[in-house]
Amino acid sequence: MSRTISCKQAVDLISKKEEAKLSATQRFALWRHLAVCSLCRTFSVQNKIIKKALTQEDYRVLTTEEKEVIVKTVLQTKP
Amino acid sequence: MMDKETIFRAWVSEHSDALFRFALQRLQDDELCKDLVQDAFLAAWRNVDGYKGEASVKNWLFVILKSKITDHYRKAHTRLEVDTILREHNDHTFFDEQDHWRKGMYPKQWRVDFSNRVEAKEFQQVFDSCGKKLKEIQNTVFVMKYVDGLDSEDICKELSLSSSNYWVLLHRAKVQLRACLEKNWMQK
Repeated sequence: MSRTISCKQAVDLISKKEEAKLSATQRFALWRHLAVCSLCRTFSVQNKIIKKALTQEDYRVLTTEEKEVIVKTVLQTKP
Repeated sequence: MMDKETIFRAWVSEHSDALFRFALQRLQDDELCKDLVQDAFLAAWRNVDGYKGEASVKNWLFVILKSKITDHYRKAHTRLEVDTILREHNDHTFFDEQDHWRKGMYPKQWRVDFSNRVEAKEFQQVFDSCGKKLKEIQNTVFVMKYVDGLDSEDICKELSLSSSNYWVLLHRAKVQLRACLEKNWMQK
């Protein structure tokens, strides 16, 4: 394992870390990189925000008319 | 005993909103989501006699909807789309020869206060509109990973992607989202 990793490698490791796919060596390498690289630290924060926004629940509902369309369309076909 | 039609109406009024929201979280297109929910109900109606009541109606409907969504993912995933993404953005777009961030590509601080509901909602709107600009395959990868919590190996198998292409798609999608968010939100 090389002494230091590049930003590109760090970014790859940040994504893999989400899946808990890092070896101890990789975790250590990433930790060391983030300790000195504010850009990749920022990227890591952004990554968390993206994840949070993606898993945000939607509260939209179907209107009564839209539900009626479903019922009518489906009932017209033979079971 | 209630007739089938009454029962079916009750299913739609009770479960269609939850099904619709489930689809919305996974696909960006409202109309498409409505169609898929309708398709799911249609499939349920056709199999109504085969439904043994082993699972709850709700679970049964969700299983059907999930398979409709998976079918859609398979259709949406075209070789061409992946190739275009791989061609348009290569790693040199973001990193220089030393694999360091390029000057114009520096990640910027995002200030989003999620505890402020108005701000969180505004951010979500910008985020959703940025999400719509991604290619469908990128959204699919995002959703499978973050919403469904699938493992990269399963996603690759499901979408027949190579592992390296998967990571590239995921990464490009993040960087594209970043650029869009920085333009439309962070400059406020």
